[in-house]
Amino acid sequence: MQNALSQRMSGWAANWAQRRQGRDARAVTLQRRRIYILPTRFGIVFGLLVLAMLLGSLNYDASLGFALTFLLAGLGLVIMHHCHNNLLAMQIRFAGALPVFAGQPALYRIALVNSAPAARYELELAHAGQISGPVDLAPGHSKTLEIAVPTDARGWRRLSRFAIATRYPGSLFRAWTWIHMDALCLVYPAPAPVGRPIPTGPSHHGTRGMPAQDDSDFVGLRRATPADSPGRVAWKAYARSGQLMVKQFSGAAEVPSMLDWDSLPELGTEARLAQLTRWCLDAAAEMRSFGVRLPTTAVALGSGEKHLHECLQALALFEMPAS
Amino acid sequence: MSSRDHTLVPTERLLWTGGVVLGASLPHWPMLPVWIPALLGACVLWRLAAKLKGWPLPNRPLRLTLALLAFSGVVVRYGTVNGLSAGSALLVVMVALKFLESYTHRDQVVLMIIAYFLVFASLLHERGLLTAAYLLGYVWITTVGLLQLGRHGSLLPSWPTAKLAARLLLQAVPIMLILFLLFPRLPGPIWAISGGTSSGTTGLSETMSPGDITNLGLSDEVAFRVEFLTGAPRFDQLYWRGPVLAQFNGRTWSRSPGMRRRVLDTLAHSGEPTEYRVMLGPNGDNWAFAIDMPQTWAAEGRRNIVMGSDYQLRVLAGQPMEGRIAYRVTSYPSYTALEALTANEVAVFTRLPDGSNPRTRALVAQWLVDDPSPDEIIARALDVFRAEGFFYTLTPPALGRHTADEFIFDTREGFCEHYASALTIMLRAAGLPARVVTGYQGGELNGIGDYYIVRQMDAHAWTEVWLDERGWVRVDPIVAVAPERIALGSWRSALQGATARTRALTQLPWLRQALLAYDAANTYWNQWVVGYGPQLQRSLLRYLGFERARWAELMTLAAVSTVAILAGLTLYLGWTFHRQRNVDAAALCFAAFSRKLARARVPPLMPGEGPTAFARRAELKLPVVSADIRRIVQSYLAARYEPGGRAALVELKRLVKQFRAVRARL
Repeated sequence: MQNALSQRMSGWAANWAQRRQGRDARAVTLQRRRIYILPTRFGIVFGLLVLAMLLGSLNYDASLGFALTFLLAGLGLVIMHHCHNNLLAMQIRFAGALPVFAGQPALYRIALVNSAPAARYELELAHAGQISGPVDLAPGHSKTLEIAVPTDARGWRRLSRFAIATRYPGSLFRAWTWIHMDALCLVYPAPAPVGRPIPTGPSHHGTRGMPAQDDSDFVGLRRATPADSPGRVAWKAYARSGQLMVKQFSGAAEVPSMLDWDSLPELGTEARLAQLTRWCLDAAAEMRSFGVRLPTTAVALGSGEKHLHECLQALALFEMPAS
Repeated sequence: MSSRDHTLVPTERLLWTGGVVLGASLPHWPMLPVWIPALLGACVLWRLAAKLKGWPLPNRPLRLTLALLAFSGVVVRYGTVNGLSAGSALLVVMVALKFLESYTHRDQVVLMIIAYFLVFASLLHERGLLTAAYLLGYVWITTVGLLQLGRHGSLLPSWPTAKLAARLLLQAVPIMLILFLLFPRLPGPIWAISGGTSSGTTGLSETMSPGDITNLGLSDEVAFRVEFLTGAPRFDQLYWRGPVLAQFNGRTWSRSPGMRRRVLDTLAHSGEPTEYRVMLGPNGDNWAFAIDMPQTWAAEGRRNIVMGSDYQLRVLAGQPMEGRIAYRVTSYPSYTALEALTANEVAVFTRLPDGSNPRTRALVAQWLVDDPSPDEIIARALDVFRAEGFFYTLTPPALGRHTADEFIFDTREGFCEHYASALTIMLRAAGLPARVVTGYQGGELNGIGDYYIVRQMDAHAWTEVWLDERGWVRVDPIVAVAPERIALGSWRSALQGATARTRALTQLPWLRQALLAYDAANTYWNQWVVGYGPQLQRSLLRYLGFERARWAELMTLAAVSTVAILAGLTLYLGWTFHRQRNVDAAALCFAAFSRKLARARVPPLMPGEGPTAFARRAELKLPVVSADIRRIVQSYLAARYEPGGRAALVELKRLVKQFRAVRARL
């Protein structure tokens, strides 16, 4: 109940902040007027402590009691300013997000850049109840925080509002800023299950209906690098070990195939895209040259990493409004 | 961090928490029953053993039992949970039990906040300069603790954090000063919660039994300090009046109860008045000492001072003498105290127990036969002490039943109490109303602070005799036997009985000087800091030009000043985050360099990539100029991160300007 109320309040405040700030570019340098600050629970307890001390000093007419009370009150205010300043003039940059298939978490990378000559401490990224960090930033250094967001549909996935926050020093206050930046992650359609063979087009080979020749031999797994195609990732191995591995094949069937939207008339739009995605991955894994033909667009025959991504992007963005 | 598994708390966090709460409670220990510090120590050790040795921690029922037992212990010991002493005891108990179950980040931060309150509670007990210094230091340490334990990650290195805490506190000091000076100090208590501290104090006692004491220790403890606003009177006029003892049971003098009379009107003053301010330490008995005879007086703060029926000043009954009080008095060293005595009162002031001191009575009876005039009697009584063989000593022999007889005829050794008692007995034997007045005589000038210190060893006793038409007249028998005692102060004239400490003080002038300097500092501290109250605040505001400032005006002034200070802090902090132009210049240079590289198709610095890694990438692309690239990066790092990077910056500028991104010819 209380939680719901506080959520509504913070949602309202965040919307207000967005109206006031507008949308952000992909690199933001924090200005004073967009850094918000409130006391934490400890800050409230600390405030009550100072109040209790004030009452005690009044009652006992204790001059030194007043002195300590006011020293701590001053300390609280000074800490508030340091907390606010811990974010001031820091740069926040979107450092990219690798494309994923729908259903996989999108991993957005946000770089915090401290170009000031003073260190900043305990910076964290908060997004939809998740916290990433905290990290400390030495003068002139930058660090990247990652935030994972679940995906369910293909297309461009925009990172919703997130906050960069700090409780330094002393956890008495929390200063934060809301960021609404165009941090986009491309989400490919989730591939259909393995099984349906790639049709080899009649226009090219005349071996219609024949199962794809699979004369490439699976030889093993190796550790994945960012350059690897997601289609060659051994997802089953990933589920077992949590480590991204890619399948390696020897030999390749150089049978070019044009993967055609029209070859799957019995399926709905998303299912067709899923199947086409699967075929793209299979074709790339078999190191064939392939292309994609959609009603609105087509990708010519080709092969290689970059080509695969072009095809998958075409599938991901099919009939999507331009963003 | 929110796990309830107690073994997950890092040891360094536990050590920090334990250390801070132990140190913060330390000043309370002397005032607490022994079991409370013991409980705290045991809880800290137990918690550490649980972490380091895997001991089991007490489960919930045991913790509850412990808490109940400790709570009852406090109630039994103090009879209440209210008030300063019981409250402090309870606070330490709570800290001990809380530490035992400290698992989380939250527990640790809460303990730091309680540590601040422990420091605060000891400031209500202790007001001395050294204690205040210790406690200020402790506020610093607690702040370091707060900064460290407030972190969610690992702790920072201690020394930089300590420096940061010091910086935060220093930045808080102006706000503290403003609020301390301007926050309205109210005369009169807001809530009548009694203090509950009964400080064990040494002062004059309310009884005097000259035969009992055989070794009077010279205590150099300060009774009070005096600042003369007009010129100080002569040393032999410094009779600080204290309790008047009129009832004698043959051995012990005590105060006579029951006489209540307004006597101020009976005083007639003459000569020059002297005006002074007395700063009185805690004394158990509410005495407010003043030079014979006070005419007007005013207490500072929330207390009232009244004159008793024996001309002595007292802080009004019912007002505890906690802490220090200060008051101003105007006295006239020349006076007549023409109190009219009733027959009943004459009987009280001439009463001697039947059968006591027969030899003295016989002697006085002889004088009465010779010449019954009071002046003659007094002169002959003083002559007794001028006779051969009377010594002023602090180590007199013990006296038997008839103290005056034995003192006058046999032992002839004693200090002021013996002489005053014997003289009063002689005068009473002659039928003259007489009484013993106790108090202090003299004082020591502290040249550093320009005030007088009156110590316990300046305690004195003298006689007052009531004469027709002249009222109460002071007769000090010590003037007859040891005039230097009055001229110089007691401790110098009685060195053979003095303690080693006093001897050392007289033989080591620098030590004495140092102690006087410390006393002066402490006095100023007490006067201006501890004693800062409504009156000083009013004077300060008047000095600043605020005549009769109101509550609301003061608050506004304090708030506006605080906001101004904080605005200054904001500017300063903003400046520290933007300052050091050479850093920016170095960054600009480096940006120009990476633009040049970009033209040679070296992709620019990526997020998370350090300059060194960037340089390695560029060197691979441009092997021909790799030496230049390396030199530029080195001077960039030097300009940016090394102290005195100005030379490196100049070098960097030159190198970047000359740099040509020559691609390798393949």
